[in-house]
Amino acid sequence: MSDIEEMLSVPEPKVDTERALARLRARVEAERIAPVTRGASAPRRIAVNIWLKGLAAAATIALVATLLTVSGVAETILTIFEPKQIVAVPITMNDLQGAPSFETYGSLTWTEQPRPYDVPDVRTAARESGMTVLIPGNLPAGLGAPRYGVMPKTTATFTFSADKTRQAAATLKRTPPPMPANIDGSKLFITGGPAVVAFYDDGTRPTETTGASPFSGMPRLIVAQGKPPVVQSDGVTVEQLQSYLLAQPGISPQLAAQIRAIKDPSSTLPVPIPVDMATSKKVTVQGVEGIFVGDSTGLGSAVIWQKDGIVYGVAGTLTEQQVLAVANSLR
Amino acid sequence: MELAERLRLGTAPGTGMPPAFEELFRKEYPRVVAIAHRVVADSDEAEDVAQDVFVSFYRKHPADAHYAAPWLHAAAAHAALNVLRARERRGRRDAFEALRRDAQAPDPAQAAETAETRSEVRAALARLPDRSAALLALRYSGLSYEEIAAALGLRQSSIGTLLRRAEDAFRKEVTR
Repeated sequence: MSDIEEMLSVPEPKVDTERALARLRARVEAERIAPVTRGASAPRRIAVNIWLKGLAAAATIALVATLLTVSGVAETILTIFEPKQIVAVPITMNDLQGAPSFETYGSLTWTEQPRPYDVPDVRTAARESGMTVLIPGNLPAGLGAPRYGVMPKTTATFTFSADKTRQAAATLKRTPPPMPANIDGSKLFITGGPAVVAFYDDGTRPTETTGASPFSGMPRLIVAQGKPPVVQSDGVTVEQLQSYLLAQPGISPQLAAQIRAIKDPSSTLPVPIPVDMATSKKVTVQGVEGIFVGDSTGLGSAVIWQKDGIVYGVAGTLTEQQVLAVANSLR
Repeated sequence: MELAERLRLGTAPGTGMPPAFEELFRKEYPRVVAIAHRVVADSDEAEDVAQDVFVSFYRKHPADAHYAAPWLHAAAAHAALNVLRARERRGRRDAFEALRRDAQAPDPAQAAETAETRSEVRAALARLPDRSAALLALRYSGLSYEEIAAALGLRQSSIGTLLRRAEDAFRKEVTR
């Protein structure tokens, strides 16, 4: 060690990066600090973010509300949500903007963080995910070899908090219905993944579309597959929870009705469809019922289905016919 | 956009923080804290500096900027030096107290001695010209010549000479 190194030596600081990131997030949110965006790419990224944030928010509401429609009180750890089928739930921009995030009702702790990573080939993707990875036999012309990403199985625990709900409501200057005492402190255990995603590009930049398309900024084709989420509860009064959550400010009566209308909520995965940006319809894919989603500009398409315990998705800046051809050619 | 980044889109519920920024934060935060800590010798203060550095980057620069890491390294050194100089201006007593918090030693007398030494060394660092002090902070936080050159906008071939000069000036200040 040189004399200068010795003079300047300090004990190794104990750094908790995740806690520091949470601190920064809180500050950015509290002070409403906006990130700088890079010229032309900004609208595309925002569009994708709105879509995905909305997807996450709507999925949260749908998921939480859905699992709560199961009647009865769970005395012990109980699997209350294990989807076997999917259903489209139309949502509007207002639903998205008004939708409370998970964090409004309590705290989400990742026991295993969802950390996706790149893998060199399909064989590695299959080995790391423990799934048989299906490959399309039919690809639109011009697409190169795919790049693969794997998201390992992740688990999270959600703890309801009446305090947090009050604070969130106060920030929004809204009065939520009081959280029933037995919901406060109760826990949900959420498991998701593993998942494998393949990205196909044709060597050109992603198709420039208007900010109104949820598909803008995406690669030409994405093929994804994963184990659907499973939710377990340590015991809550579900009727109370359902009426409590669906009565929250920000959830439109239409959205609440859509969620209540799901026939078999404990085994149905709701797929939120932003009606302002996209349309959806039922299609048959791989011999089962799936949902086709087309964006309103006609430039992007996606199809989602569930088969043999795996949720599949094919999406891209392709036509309905092309997307369905790719989906049906997966082997 | 990296594959992993694409997959991360939407994994930050409640905030619009771009996933690329979070990735940059996770990758660079320990380094930024280490640089600031080398200068201020107080881990809490070093973390405060790191938070400010990331906030100002977040405001002004896209997370996928090619210069992101060197920018953060340089900003960490300069911001930490500003904190150090402000502390010196408030008086040595203040500076000593700040360092004693961080000087972990089983024996209070030993802790006080460590804090005293660190306090003198930091006072010397605060008196150095900005570039020399930044050079020392970056080099002794473990950055390579290439990384220092990128951070301070200098030619890599001149780092060795500049560093030796900074070290000489520093030694003189410490023994002054």
